Amino acid sequence: MAIMKSKRAELATAAVLMAPFIIIYGVLFIYPTIKMVQVSFTDAPLIGDGQFNGIDNFVRLWKDRLFSTSVWNTLYFVLLSVIPSTIIALFLAMGVNRLKGWLQSIVLACFFLPYILPVSVVYRIWAWILDKDFGIAQVLLAPFNGGTNINVFRDLPLFMPAAALLTVWWLIGFNMLLYIAGLRNISTEIYEAASLDGAGRWTQFWNITWPLIWPVTVLVLTIQLILQLKIFDQVYLFSRGGRVDATSTMVQYIYKQAFQLNHGGVGAAASLVLFLVIVIFSVLQFQLLRTRGGEK
Amino acid sequence: MKKFIKAALAATALVTVTAFAAGVQAKDTIVWWDFLGGGDGVRMKSLIDEFNKEHADTVEIQATTLDWGTPFYTKVQTSAAVGQGPDIMTYHESRIPLGISTGSLSVITPEELAASGIKADDFEPANWKAAQGADGKQYAVPLDIHSIILYYNKTLLKNAGLLGDDGKPKGLDGVANWDAALAKLTANGVVGLSVPTADGGTMWRIFYTLLNQQDGVFLKDNKFLDGDNLDKAATALTEMNKWVKSGWTPKQTEYAASIALFTSGKAAFHINGVWEVPTMVDLQKKGQLFDWGAIQIPALYAHPATWADSHSFAIPNRVGNPVDAAKRKLVLDTVHWFNQHSLEWAGGGHLPAFSPVRSSDDFKNLKPNSDYSSLAATAVFDPVSTLAGVASPVYDAAGNYVLPAMNGDLDPKDAASQMRDDLQGQVK
Repeated sequence: MAIMKSKRAELATAAVLMAPFIIIYGVLFIYPTIKMVQVSFTDAPLIGDGQFNGIDNFVRLWKDRLFSTSVWNTLYFVLLSVIPSTIIALFLAMGVNRLKGWLQSIVLACFFLPYILPVSVVYRIWAWILDKDFGIAQVLLAPFNGGTNINVFRDLPLFMPAAALLTVWWLIGFNMLLYIAGLRNISTEIYEAASLDGAGRWTQFWNITWPLIWPVTVLVLTIQLILQLKIFDQVYLFSRGGRVDATSTMVQYIYKQAFQLNHGGVGAAASLVLFLVIVIFSVLQFQLLRTRGGEK
Repeated sequence: MKKFIKAALAATALVTVTAFAAGVQAKDTIVWWDFLGGGDGVRMKSLIDEFNKEHADTVEIQATTLDWGTPFYTKVQTSAAVGQGPDIMTYHESRIPLGISTGSLSVITPEELAASGIKADDFEPANWKAAQGADGKQYAVPLDIHSIILYYNKTLLKNAGLLGDDGKPKGLDGVANWDAALAKLTANGVVGLSVPTADGGTMWRIFYTLLNQQDGVFLKDNKFLDGDNLDKAATALTEMNKWVKSGWTPKQTEYAASIALFTSGKAAFHINGVWEVPTMVDLQKKGQLFDWGAIQIPALYAHPATWADSHSFAIPNRVGNPVDAAKRKLVLDTVHWFNQHSLEWAGGGHLPAFSPVRSSDDFKNLKPNSDYSSLAATAVFDPVSTLAGVASPVYDAAGNYVLPAMNGDLDPKDAASQMRDDLQGQVK
């Protein structure tokens, strides 16, 4: 009897302790998600309720050329940013890892510095670096454009690569940090043993570093994938006033529908699609990469 | 624990009582939201200070400046829907149709206007009407008319023989004369005209100006660029493209850079909003700018016409917590005060909407405003539609079609028809 009582008391304590998290998670995540699914089947405006209209919103997305442009742009951006930022981060981390003492700290800080900047600052910096008339980068760009300056963010083929480039520059510090932590976990004895056996740099990297760092790579890739599928800020800021439709991404499409055009239902439907895309992609990627790593 | 709660409760009660007591004694407050973050915002702040000083014992405006464009209007819409938000806010007239459709705006009755001394006759008819819904009801009171103007460098024009004895440019009317002037001015590392060719908003303003100078109608009866209006649109786009193609106007120039081209003497003309007047005035005050002036955009086609919009004052429709009658009276009195004092606002380059101020001697002596104030008579406001107005699909379309057409990335005719199809597809 006494045991049961104390168990019940324990349960009560557990419930009280967990309540804040459960309530916050429920109110700020579960409830809005359910609501989003609900709204996506209605013709609701941004504020207030709408009439149930079945799968009309999804049919509309399917037919909307702007939505398919947005999906392709998002995937293109992911391709341009996720893999480069992972690979470059690994190589930079290996480089920084070879440095010693305060030099290492300074170099690491330099690479990490952009990461702490807010996106608006990143936008300002790069807008001026690349400015068509006054940007210093034009010295390097103009020779490739027949000697005349070029507006990188108004020339369509260059827009996404440029946005990806500055995104890599901006976020690479964080990936590097994860890699450096991973590299420090690899025991130096393994490298010593390998070099005694006559393994060169490349063999060491390919047979020791790469397989042992694989779990970090999976983590970095997954974080980056989820983050970049939700790309909005940079593209929004750089395309503002320009050819916004041609460079639109999925979150931008949601923003346009819900906030600019007051089509809450369509916005919710597009959000649901993005939500599912992210869930499917990240689960698939994580599983795929994990098994591949396991085989090694 | 109990002690702590008791103490907390007591403290809360004390704060509430004090606040209440203070509230009873305090003068009336007006909660004010605007989106005036630029050079004109500084002038608005000093005007608000002046108001607060003059009404030190009775009324106080508590002003907040928010981010311009979609963020501002989204915030207004969401806060009004839950009964929150300001007592008064600035609103673009072009945005009023969308504001009505989202239920963000409260109707101002003729009786209320009369009670505060606000009369339709004191405003340009087109300006006053742009603050009304399709139902003919008044949703706002205009404060100014703002438009695009032609800034010019007097020295460069004089050297090219394009400056009249009155110090204003001469012989610019008609496409042939205008083109010839640009061609003549483009020499020795100077271009004829700098325009923010990378900015969709400016693209829209120039395009709409040239379309209306040909009597083109952008939107009528829910039809975009119907009939021969499409050809007129293509004509306007072809002309804009010609400036770039001929090397008279630099391609894909960002907003700030286009101003810098003019202020550094590398462009003879500059087309931009009146809101950049403070930029020039301030530079000249510091002795960093040449002799300059500004006039209405010349009539390239049949007659003068210029795109215009208007900052106006509106009362939000706060659901469940409306602005009460006494406060509404106070708010409209305040609006009237601001219109009577809008000469100071004109320092931001804008034209006062309030005709008594615009026709006053003080305004006539205000340069350069009075040189371009004639545009008010032929101003054309944005089409009345939920798809038009500041930060609207029409503005986006300008970035998507007018911008590439002007910069030569899209054929002008194709651009016109693609723009029509895109916008037509968004009509419900």
